[in-house]
Amino acid sequence: MIADDKDVLRDVWFGRIPTCFTLYQDEVTEREAEPFYLLLPRVSYLTLVTDKVKKHFLKVMKAEDVEEIWFEYEGTPLKWHYPIGLLFDLHASNTSLPWSITVHFKNFPERDLLHCPCNSVIEAHFMSSIKEADALKHKSQVINDMQKKDHKQLWMGLQNDKFDQFWAINRKLMEYPTEEGGFRYIPFRIYLTMSDRPFIQKLFRPISPDGHTHTLGDLLKEVYPVAIANEAKRYQVVIHGIEPLLETPLQWLSEHLSHPDNFLHISVIPAPSD
Amino acid sequence: MIACGHSNDQMSSCVLDEETFCRCCQLFLEHSHSLCDGWSWQLVKGSEEGYLRKVALGNVRIRTSSNPNQITDQYIQGASSDQRQGRTSPFTPHKENDDDHNDEQYYDDDDGAVCCMQDSRSSGVIQYEYHILYSYSYQTPVLYFRASTLEGRSLSLEEVWDGVHPNYRQRLQHGPWDTITQQEHPLLGQSFFVLHPCRTEEFMRPVLQAALEEHRQVNYVVTWLSVVGPVVGLDVPLSYCTKVPAPSHTSPSPLQPPALQTQPD
Repeated sequence: MIADDKDVLRDVWFGRIPTCFTLYQDEVTEREAEPFYLLLPRVSYLTLVTDKVKKHFLKVMKAEDVEEIWFEYEGTPLKWHYPIGLLFDLHASNTSLPWSITVHFKNFPERDLLHCPCNSVIEAHFMSSIKEADALKHKSQVINDMQKKDHKQLWMGLQNDKFDQFWAINRKLMEYPTEEGGFRYIPFRIYLTMSDRPFIQKLFRPISPDGHTHTLGDLLKEVYPVAIANEAKRYQVVIHGIEPLLETPLQWLSEHLSHPDNFLHISVIPAPSD
Repeated sequence: MIACGHSNDQMSSCVLDEETFCRCCQLFLEHSHSLCDGWSWQLVKGSEEGYLRKVALGNVRIRTSSNPNQITDQYIQGASSDQRQGRTSPFTPHKENDDDHNDEQYYDDDDGAVCCMQDSRSSGVIQYEYHILYSYSYQTPVLYFRASTLEGRSLSLEEVWDGVHPNYRQRLQHGPWDTITQQEHPLLGQSFFVLHPCRTEEFMRPVLQAALEEHRQVNYVVTWLSVVGPVVGLDVPLSYCTKVPAPSHTSPSPLQPPALQTQPD
């Protein structure tokens, strides 16, 4: 990996979204709740990084009025198990900053959101994604050959925002046999805003059988052609808040723009009309 | 095709491709219709993808409480493994001796385990919904399920664990990935419980290898469901195993002797 590529890894890891948390107006408080401002890491998860937010609002509430915390943006419950950057790109990318999130402590939307009673649930979810990604990339061989302490190091690196600690292990998940030219299949999910279906996930190889390198455009054409249909730019294809060129090799994207869970989370959103 | 291959380092894997999954489901459904046991094929809007679905009602004893935290506390207090041995699985149909257990604690006849019932409004009838989807990542079927009271209250993970037969519970708690967790349904976007698929290949492999050696064909979905279904209270009548055929193939059978088999890729 050349020096420039390493910078990309750092830029992805250290991406932040300025956010304003406001308590839902119908929550019962003992006095007025002030909004709380926080820079959220794009690559982390809401319930992992909002302890301070919770503490802040609990100061003005009685214990009996507090149940499991959940977050909402403009009426849509936010899925904590999606990376924060993905949630932002999907719901709020063409709006002005800071991102305004509403905090709830009651009426947990059971059907729509997963429960998150503690950090080990987040860890289990995170590790499950990594394992699934490796099943696609390496038939699970690399992840299964690692020791438990290596798995733990991946999680601790994410939890404690330690880039070097994380990548010391993650780099092994980004290797592949030279003769193969890339991973077996690319772990990706394409998220759609205009659909009941939350995302598309299919098997897709980075290199075609005749050796030609697949691009982001090739992926979309195969799996979600609507995104790049000829009508003048109706949709934006966004990864980590940017629109990569469709000519970008998919293997490179997978190695450099994946989230810590080793998945490429791709948002297809309506282009702003102006 | 269902493919079983041996590579040079003696590692074999048995994978199920999507097309074979669909064909297995089709054959499964034909038998299901003859039994009228409630399975149907659901199509995903705007795509050719689909999944098997079944809704079932069960009359069970469940821990109900207006305060969700209370459930966890009771579960932890009431449940040491020896106390719970012999306790009826809530998933089996249970005949109540008397219908009213208003705010009453009572003891299980057999083993003295505490089982608490509150909230007399709960009828004790639970609706279960089971979905069988295809996983691209693991190339196996996956079982998604959810349960709710007739009043619409979703069952918690603790209550779901209550329903897992004690024999299976220990094995399921083996590793963080070998277990029942709450996940997002990949086609519907709603919360479901899932039996993690990463070990499916492990228990399917011996079955498929044996079938290969005996020149028998196997319906992957039926075999798989007969293993995982009972773990979560889903009954799979024996006739499925005897009456549902494996999908036929127009091309030569993929189930060839290992020496000739190459790993399709």
